[in-house]
Amino acid sequence: MTKKLYSLIALLAVASLVLAACAPAAGDAGSAGDAGDAGTSGDAGSAGDAAFEGTSVASESCDYGGKILSIEAVDALTVVFNLCKPDPAFLAKIAFTPFGIQPSEWIAETGGAGELLEHPIGTGPYMVQEWDRGNQIVFTRFDDYWGEAGAAATVTLRWLTEGAARLQELQAGTADFITNLAPDDYATVIGSDDLVFIPQDNPNVLYLAMTNTFAPFDNQLVRQAIAMGIDRQRIVDNFYPEGSEVADYFTPCSIPNGCEGDSWYEFDPEAARALLAEAGYPDGFETSIYYRDVFRAYLPEPPLVAQELQAQLAANLGITAAVVPMESGEFIAASTDGQLDGFYLLGWGADYPHVTNFLDFHFGSGNPQFGDPFAEIYGPLEEASSIADLATAAPLYAEANNAIRDLVPMVPIAHGGVAHAALATLDGAYYPPFGANEFYRMSPTTDDPDYVDMVYVQNAEPISLYCADETDGESLRPCQQVVETLLDYATDSGDTVPELATSCTSNEDSTVWTCSLRSGVLFHDGSAFDANDVVASFAAGLDASSPYHVGNTGGFDYFSYLWDGLMNVPAE
Amino acid sequence: MATRTEAISPETINPSQRSRSLGSLTIRRLFKQRNAIVGLTILTILLLIAVFSPQIAPYDPELVLIGIEDVGKRESPCIHLLGCPEDQPQHIMGIDGNFRDQFSRVIYGTRVSLFIGFSTIGLAVIIGSLIGAVSGYLGGWADNVIMRFMDVILAFPSFLLAIAIITVLGRGLQNALYAIAVVNIPVFARLMRASVLSLKEQEFVAASRALGASPFRLLFARILPNAAPTLIVQATLSIASAILEAAALSFLGLGAQPPTPEWGTMLGSERNQVFTSPHLVFFPGIAIMITVLAFNLLGDGIRDALDPRLAQTTKS
Repeated sequence: MTKKLYSLIALLAVASLVLAACAPAAGDAGSAGDAGDAGTSGDAGSAGDAAFEGTSVASESCDYGGKILSIEAVDALTVVFNLCKPDPAFLAKIAFTPFGIQPSEWIAETGGAGELLEHPIGTGPYMVQEWDRGNQIVFTRFDDYWGEAGAAATVTLRWLTEGAARLQELQAGTADFITNLAPDDYATVIGSDDLVFIPQDNPNVLYLAMTNTFAPFDNQLVRQAIAMGIDRQRIVDNFYPEGSEVADYFTPCSIPNGCEGDSWYEFDPEAARALLAEAGYPDGFETSIYYRDVFRAYLPEPPLVAQELQAQLAANLGITAAVVPMESGEFIAASTDGQLDGFYLLGWGADYPHVTNFLDFHFGSGNPQFGDPFAEIYGPLEEASSIADLATAAPLYAEANNAIRDLVPMVPIAHGGVAHAALATLDGAYYPPFGANEFYRMSPTTDDPDYVDMVYVQNAEPISLYCADETDGESLRPCQQVVETLLDYATDSGDTVPELATSCTSNEDSTVWTCSLRSGVLFHDGSAFDANDVVASFAAGLDASSPYHVGNTGGFDYFSYLWDGLMNVPAE
Repeated sequence: MATRTEAISPETINPSQRSRSLGSLTIRRLFKQRNAIVGLTILTILLLIAVFSPQIAPYDPELVLIGIEDVGKRESPCIHLLGCPEDQPQHIMGIDGNFRDQFSRVIYGTRVSLFIGFSTIGLAVIIGSLIGAVSGYLGGWADNVIMRFMDVILAFPSFLLAIAIITVLGRGLQNALYAIAVVNIPVFARLMRASVLSLKEQEFVAASRALGASPFRLLFARILPNAAPTLIVQATLSIASAILEAAALSFLGLGAQPPTPEWGTMLGSERNQVFTSPHLVFFPGIAIMITVLAFNLLGDGIRDALDPRLAQTTKS
């Protein structure tokens, strides 16, 4: 009797174990829209287990207009991206910080918002210890990082909006690295033995935009007159730091195919005045120059450049323009929606090294920021965006650039030089052309090698740390330290290098990309990284029907415009 | 008999004669006040600078010197007398961030600041005095309604209220002037009402009323002239505050807009350069300080000159 009882208990125990082992497999197999629910990560050793249930996110068809048809986790360490059309910038795009990977469980647990905005969980060399809002963010080293461990045990990220104040912190030794040196401070840093001057070769452009739905900017002759009537060389020479240059094309020439076609108009005030008279404005007109007073690499001193343009428009064209500074968020919203009735000063810094990042976003058929989009521009751009071969696409980009020159939706002014600074005692101080510098590559010299702390000062507080739904560099920088992407950018160029994926290869027509993932990678919460985390992270941003598509604003701008739109958008 | 009646009638007293004697007495007292003399001297100089700005300033304040002179952005002052090489163009307050002569801008800024001070307080005095006079003279529910409304305006910090008004009207010098005038109206309304309440019971007012003077005549010919000294003192002191408020609004980008050479705007646009180019914030700052000081000293002096108790003390 007793023997039978023990046998029964043993049988029940074995049955329980079998059921427990089968439990994950009993979950949802994963489908478009609920990818985050499906698939759980076991320990690192489980990656590649036969029990792995891959998830996916997909659109019913390519009719929604976007580039991605589906993303599938075919096994624990393999993800396949099925594209609707070839994307020559695919590798560069997936290396961009907003496409960082977080655990599917964490995304599900937070519901795609809330804690996710302040405490991202990634696989990066640093993890967020505490965000003291309005003051600082403290990062601690992740000791189980798969790659080279960071030298500093903690990194404190602070922010100061004034360039002079940042430099003071550096000179006082209370900061190891500061971003965005004010142009007037260049000489101070270069002349100091205690500081290191770190120029950044980031392609960017400042432009003077006009919205063609407002008079007199609906007149092409007026726009052409303005294109000829501004002495852009004078602006660059007097208001930009060393390393800056006049923008002869919208896209900087360091980006392949950026400078195909004809160069911009030469400065010719007489011809400009004649054109303006021909357009019916011999004495000019009254308008405004809108701008936001925020330091950007492409516009280091916005009020000065705005006033210089004001002076040039008056002197060269007889145009009376009031200078109107706007609050940053209001300015971005109004300008990108095409609601500003005057000139506005805006720019663009490269997110990834491809011409589509400059031209397709600004001059695409769905962008109203210059008013009604021009088919002469977006036509060739759409055709070129599916061509992987640079030489084959070059004539189309030449056609688009010539149309921009002819139609003048804006006047490209400058490609700004930007520089940062560090203490001479900070080993490995650098700044890459794309993305932010990574904390783990830099090491402050200290008397106490057991405890190294680095203080990094940038020019503004991050908005949130869920960078799938952020666009500002001040947010992307801390995200990049914590959350990693499938690929990364090289420290000295725009080339992509392996990060969470060891390789990504495509089929012949570049419509199917297969990424092999790195094994043995752990998230900061101790869970193992696998292909389902990639699917869940992309699904939260890309799939508008996902319950986790919440974020900070819900805009997921980079998902929307880099992949030509969100999939499964619910019908209104 | 008729001749005698005429001699004692208030109508026969020449008000200008009376005010002239009061005025000359006040001026005599004023010139005994050292503060007032200093304030008046500075103010006279500032007025002369404002009037003769085109003659004093070496450059157009909005002229960008790129391509005209070999100057650098935010260049330090160059004064030949102090050793600056003769071959360099002289700019005694340096060059601003937009390559304009800072001295010329500070000089022209005097015009803008004095205009702001006089126009805003002038408007506030006129409107506030009328409101206060009518309120005090009518009394009753009208007085209650008007004064409670003034209390509501006074309940807000004046600068915040000015910012709120500009938010509604839009930024710009003209709207800043309206905003500053509006926030100053209650001060003058209360002051005038208090004067009217005390003066309307005075015998000379009662005598005029008894002789059949109309309310309008009583208010404007009898009461207002006697309330004027208090208003003048308050107005002089308020001009200083108005100049400061306008500078602060412009500093925040709500008042005068570039390229108008307004001292607050000049301070605001170069505030980040306080360590690298201190001359660009020092000179507009000093200009504001001197102007405000002049009005404060003059206001104190006028108050002392008009105060009979202080006059008695001086005599004894």
